[in-house]
Amino acid sequence: MKKVMISMFVAVSLLTACNNSGSDKKEISTTTEPTAAVPADTVNKQAPAAATTTAVSIKEILADYLQMKNAFAKDNSKDAATAGNAMGASFASFNKAALTPDQAKIYNDIEDDAKEHAEHIGMNAGKIEHQREHFDMLSKDMYQLIKTFGAGQNLYYDQCPMYNDGKGANWISETKEIANPYLGKKMPTCGSVKEELK
Amino acid sequence: MTIKKRILLALVLGFAAIQFIQPARNKSEKMLAADIQKMYVVPAKILTVLQISCDDCHSNSTHYPWYSFIQPGAWLMASHIKEGKANLNFSEFGAYSKRKQQSKLQAIINSINDNTMPLNSYTMLHKKAKLSVENKVLLLDWIKTTKDSLSSKN
Repeated sequence: MKKVMISMFVAVSLLTACNNSGSDKKEISTTTEPTAAVPADTVNKQAPAAATTTAVSIKEILADYLQMKNAFAKDNSKDAATAGNAMGASFASFNKAALTPDQAKIYNDIEDDAKEHAEHIGMNAGKIEHQREHFDMLSKDMYQLIKTFGAGQNLYYDQCPMYNDGKGANWISETKEIANPYLGKKMPTCGSVKEELK
Repeated sequence: MTIKKRILLALVLGFAAIQFIQPARNKSEKMLAADIQKMYVVPAKILTVLQISCDDCHSNSTHYPWYSFIQPGAWLMASHIKEGKANLNFSEFGAYSKRKQQSKLQAIINSINDNTMPLNSYTMLHKKAKLSVENKVLLLDWIKTTKDSLSSKN
């Protein structure tokens, strides 16, 4: 009987342990702060508004994005996921201190959305069509980010007219040649350059 | 007592014991200012569809069936709800930035079109939650209207 008691104790404590790990659910119905709001201290710490954007570099975020784009063009879901995770980390380590208050507002707004897409792509290796849906939304964010902060390199804003049942989708590329990340190897050259970015 | 009997007894007792450990319920009484109903026009028909098919995991008020109290299922359910709400919460939709609201609405359109939501494992137990073709069209139309009104505001 002693053994029974021991095994029961083990069983219960194991399951309780499971419960503990997930028991931070108490916060479940609490209100979350509006995510778009710029934290007041970030704004205050900023240097006086500088008109130039040269101090700010989105190089790392952009590099991860381009890597992801190239993985999608090759239908490689796993590499796209790896790039997604890297991109999430790049957003997290981005130096916000260098931003002016106006820039910070735009940046935080974009980051809030884009980081989630990047991480979601990172979590969904193997589901390439689902990843591409988020890549579509992520590309819109990236376009805004480049427009705001500059790319520091020549880029091309491309359009695929067929994706989304003919509604089309855009992406950003470092090469003038089209390599479609939405349709991949099925239709690698489908699409055209819409705009040249710098 | 044989080993087999002991193990069986331990399992039964363990099962009984865990019934007393219940996770916190996802049931908020008051409607937040950021609730989607307060932010956008949600017609009654749409609201019903959302409540039946989505709100159990994507809002602050889950409708709990009687068997939801049986452990360890309740833990599984709680973790599903937590994950669902982390991805999309209609009760706090207005707290997302406008950009994120656009993304969330697009993601809803995608998951309806891809038939990934509501989850199969969920509709197996909640037959009513399965989206009929008419309800899909209804929902998609409403999301597109909401999405357009959002982009015109920006």
